[in-house]
Amino acid sequence: MASIWTLQFHPISLQPSIWVSKHQTHLNFVKLRPEFRFISGSSKQLNRKFVLGAYSGSPSDPDEPAVKTQTITVAVKDQLSKLHGTINSFPPLVFVMNRYGGSNLAIGLCIAIALLVIAVRVYAARKLRHRTPGSVADLVRRGQLRSDRRGISRPLKYEDPFNNPMVKVGKSNSTVEMCGKVYRLAPVTLTEEEQAIHQKRRSRAYQWKRPTVFLKEGESVPADVDPDTIRWIPANHPFATTASDIDEDLAQNNVYQKHGVPFRIKAEHEAMQRKLEALQSEQKLNNLMIDPRNAKDFERPFKEHPRSREQVEQSSFNNQTSDSMPPTSDPAPISVESNSSSEETQKL
Amino acid sequence: MLSLHNPFPTTPKPSLNLNSSTPPFSTTFKPHFPNTLKPPKPHKPHFATRTQSLLQYNRKPQLAGETPRVVVITSGKGGVGKTTTTANVGLSLARLGFSVVAIDADVGLRNLDLLLGLENRVNYTVVEVLNGDCRLDQALVRDKRWSNFELLCISKPRSKLPIGFGGKALVWLVDALKSRQEGSPDFIIIDCPAGIDAGFITAITPANEAVLVTTPDITSLRDADRVTGLLECDGIRDIKMIVNRVRTDMIKGEDMMSVLDVQEMLGLSLLGVIPEDSEVIRSTNRGYPLVLNKPPTLAGLAFEQAAWRLVEQDSMKAVMMEEEPKKRGFFSFFGG
Repeated sequence: MASIWTLQFHPISLQPSIWVSKHQTHLNFVKLRPEFRFISGSSKQLNRKFVLGAYSGSPSDPDEPAVKTQTITVAVKDQLSKLHGTINSFPPLVFVMNRYGGSNLAIGLCIAIALLVIAVRVYAARKLRHRTPGSVADLVRRGQLRSDRRGISRPLKYEDPFNNPMVKVGKSNSTVEMCGKVYRLAPVTLTEEEQAIHQKRRSRAYQWKRPTVFLKEGESVPADVDPDTIRWIPANHPFATTASDIDEDLAQNNVYQKHGVPFRIKAEHEAMQRKLEALQSEQKLNNLMIDPRNAKDFERPFKEHPRSREQVEQSSFNNQTSDSMPPTSDPAPISVESNSSSEETQKL
Repeated sequence: MLSLHNPFPTTPKPSLNLNSSTPPFSTTFKPHFPNTLKPPKPHKPHFATRTQSLLQYNRKPQLAGETPRVVVITSGKGGVGKTTTTANVGLSLARLGFSVVAIDADVGLRNLDLLLGLENRVNYTVVEVLNGDCRLDQALVRDKRWSNFELLCISKPRSKLPIGFGGKALVWLVDALKSRQEGSPDFIIIDCPAGIDAGFITAITPANEAVLVTTPDITSLRDADRVTGLLECDGIRDIKMIVNRVRTDMIKGEDMMSVLDVQEMLGLSLLGVIPEDSEVIRSTNRGYPLVLNKPPTLAGLAFEQAAWRLVEQDSMKAVMMEEEPKKRGFFSFFGG
């Protein structure tokens, strides 16, 4: 089966005459098969040998197929030599380049180096400015110092919003160009009479009095109160308080306080102080009561006595009840333990 | 959106005052046109003119009214931009050199600290001050970026504030801030919660003036009208309006009410018109208000101008309506 190959590589010397000859001869189809053969040696030339096979004879006569093969060797060497030739045909240009290229190159190199040095220096200076250790700028950056109060800082240069260079006003002062769009200035037409008319309209439409009495649902309305000033608070209102936790006068004093410790903090601190003092006084009392020398006299030999057992059980029961009772004033367990220990010593 | 600054000052200053709002560009009484394309070139070295050139850039608005100016920022409808306005206007005022205390009066849903990026620094709130757990100065959170800006939160979530003296508590707070050792702040800005119930009543109690934030849609306008009526009933007469989230392209296509239509419906003076800007969301995510962006965005510029007008108790005299850009001729390529 003959097949026609499409050529991937077209050497210069390949002529289409092969195809022409195909048509000129009596051959019906041409078989073309590329074969690659590397020539041994140092050269890396590629010799291609195209095996051309032609089948003569008409398809109607399959009895006498005549195949004539012609081997055509195309030397690529010719191509390279031709390339060399074209390059060598431009000797003046090469010569010129060789003559002037060196100094141009040197100049360009010097300029590039200079620019690079400048860029590196600017970058280093900028980094140094930011990384100067322990400078006042660090304090300003951290918010410890206010930059606007420093005498060395640059004064604020604030652009005038009415004189912005981005806004271009037309010569007749009636058009404004801004961000690629053109605007026309239309004067405001509201007069004072119109304003007064609107105010009268609103005063007729919206009758409202500021609420001064806030009542919860179910409360009775006081007799001398204007009903328009009453505001009813629903029971499920998120901002309603069921009881006034804060005294009004106290709240006002808290707002006006300028120095010193805030009221609640002070109250909590004083309460804590009192508690500590109370604890300390109790501990002193306990220390006075418990005498280590006397404690030995209270020791008894271990005896299985029903009466002592009852006492021990009672004391343990008392201890349990005293432990289970919640502390009324403070959550510290120390006082409970001291109480229980004092009870034990008292019983013993 | 920007407004045309009044080029003709009604009271020409006879002397070159450093605190003058009109930049002393020359010694004669020439009207100053601030709408220039380029900044004026500095003059030759002469001490007086060099100072004037600096003042041209560093001019400060003149504070009008009695200090402290207690301003409540309210809207009625939620989500129109009250907290964003409070944060940006407050920081703009601080940047202009005024001492500002911003109070987040939303008892249950606290947001102002998030917008300012101070959420990790809020340890004490007004509830703790009332309870006596801390002093008022301990509950104030000072912004490290602008040391003359302080934040005070009413309460932490899940804590209760007695309704009875909620409004009184704010009055005491304002009074205590007036009499503090560092001096009274120039501005106390109260971020009001949405709605018209107890939180709203509490927030507006100590206020002398109000800024009503609204968007150009009918639901917001109806609520804004109601809130304006309640404010006027409570005795607050100085009410100005900021129209937020304006889309000039939709106004041009008549899909959105124009700012002048909004003004016609509400009958309030305009403090500012803020265009829709996606940078608002990004700045919220960063905890870095819009007005601190460099270069400033359109919305940031608009907030700065609104802050300027708030200081001077001024209002907008004109608004900007988008138009078709001019068709340029063939030779405009050459700079025509």
